[in-house]
Amino acid sequence: MNRPLLTIGISLALCLPLAAQAGSKEDFNDVYSKAQSTHQDAGTFQWTVTSDRLKAAKSAADNGNFEKAAAMANEALRLAEESVAQRKQQQEAWRNVAIGN
Amino acid sequence: MVKAKIILVVLGAALAVPQVLAGSTPEEDRKAMVEYFMQMFPDVPFEGFVNGQYALNEDRRRQWESMQDFPPYEFAVADGQEMFETPFANGKTYASCFENDGIGIRQNYPYFDTEKNEVITLELAINRCREANGEEPLKWKKGAIASISGYMASTSQGKPINIKVPDDPDALAAYQDGKEFYYSRRGQLNFSCASCHVQNPGKWIRGDFLSPTVGQPANFPVHRSDWGEMGTLHRRFAGCNTNVRAEPLPAQSEGYRNLEYFLTYMSNGLPVVGPATRP
Ligand code: HEC
Repeated sequence: MNRPLLTIGISLALCLPLAAQAGSKEDFNDVYSKAQSTHQDAGTFQWTVTSDRLKAAKSAADNGNFEKAAAMANEALRLAEESVAQRKQQQEAWRNVAIGN
Repeated sequence: MVKAKIILVVLGAALAVPQVLAGSTPEEDRKAMVEYFMQMFPDVPFEGFVNGQYALNEDRRRQWESMQDFPPYEFAVADGQEMFETPFANGKTYASCFENDGIGIRQNYPYFDTEKNEVITLELAINRCREANGEEPLKWKKGAIASISGYMASTSQGKPINIKVPDDPDALAAYQDGKEFYYSRRGQLNFSCASCHVQNPGKWIRGDFLSPTVGQPANFPVHRSDWGEMGTLHRRFAGCNTNVRAEPLPAQSEGYRNLEYFLTYMSNGLPVVGPATRP
């Protein structure tokens, strides 16, 4: 096992959340645009709670609070991913409950 | 290579066929659904389903009956009639856009237009009529459009709902799309329309008493005490979506029109009773 590499890996992994917390504009922009596009992928399965987080993220960023903005964008991304998963899951699942299929 | 392609095509066809075969017809769906609710509520006569929650709950019905002497939508319907009869700037009226001058036709909406390849709801037809006559379209969910559609419904009271799905692949696809929407779970709370209105009618959810699918569209547009005014069916769709934290579709979007098509087909044979009142 390559110890130094592992150490670098671990410290990198530990750094990531720190970097997100530090709240740079770039970090925010990355997560925010990913959250937005995932939200779009949900199609007609979008969740209101995702839209709410996206709005909150945007307004925090507009006020220069990138720490809060990134936190909101991260939540939005997580919710958007769940809604996309729901969309995929329902593609077939709805038939099992339909009266007449 | 060619052989592999052929095998793939054959396989694709084989996979596609059972789905098509499995799809029941709209009429089979409707009969099965009516049967399902008749068994769930053996004491409710078929026509009783137009009264939604009032058909299932004695207390609510008594409150409702006491309201019927002075129904709160009366003024809106009178306004609707006046707007309906007032000529546009070009001298024509709404009557010129509709079969039978727009009187007694609510039961035929929504219908599938096989030329435009889309579902036409009554509200859509009202706004298209305005635009064809050089007028601005109305807002979709409340106000003037609900009054006009309410007046048109009032001239159709008692007529059996008569939605047709013509023998046309696009019409059937629109119906299927509405059906899929109805049974698909949505929102952070992970509910489908059917979770509440097929699986749980007759039960309380928070302060509300759930109505069954069959009969629901018959009373629209509706005056809700919650709204303090009249609203259209798509306004109700949006509310029900939002309640489970699902982003509603825009009123009169293709998705909601297809949903209305499916939902209203399920009420075929029941009389138009709109406009009506609901909590
Ligand atoms: C969480 C439960 C719930 C879900 C999910 C839900 N609804 Fe509702 N819906 C209600 C409640 C509560 C009412 C008011 C009481 C009643 O009439 O059922 C209502 C009322 C309605 C009405 C009016 C019924 C009437 O008699 O006037 C319609 C139409 C309707 N819902 C359609 C839908 C559609 C379409 C969907 C899916 C997009 C849906 N609902 C999803 C709870 C739900």
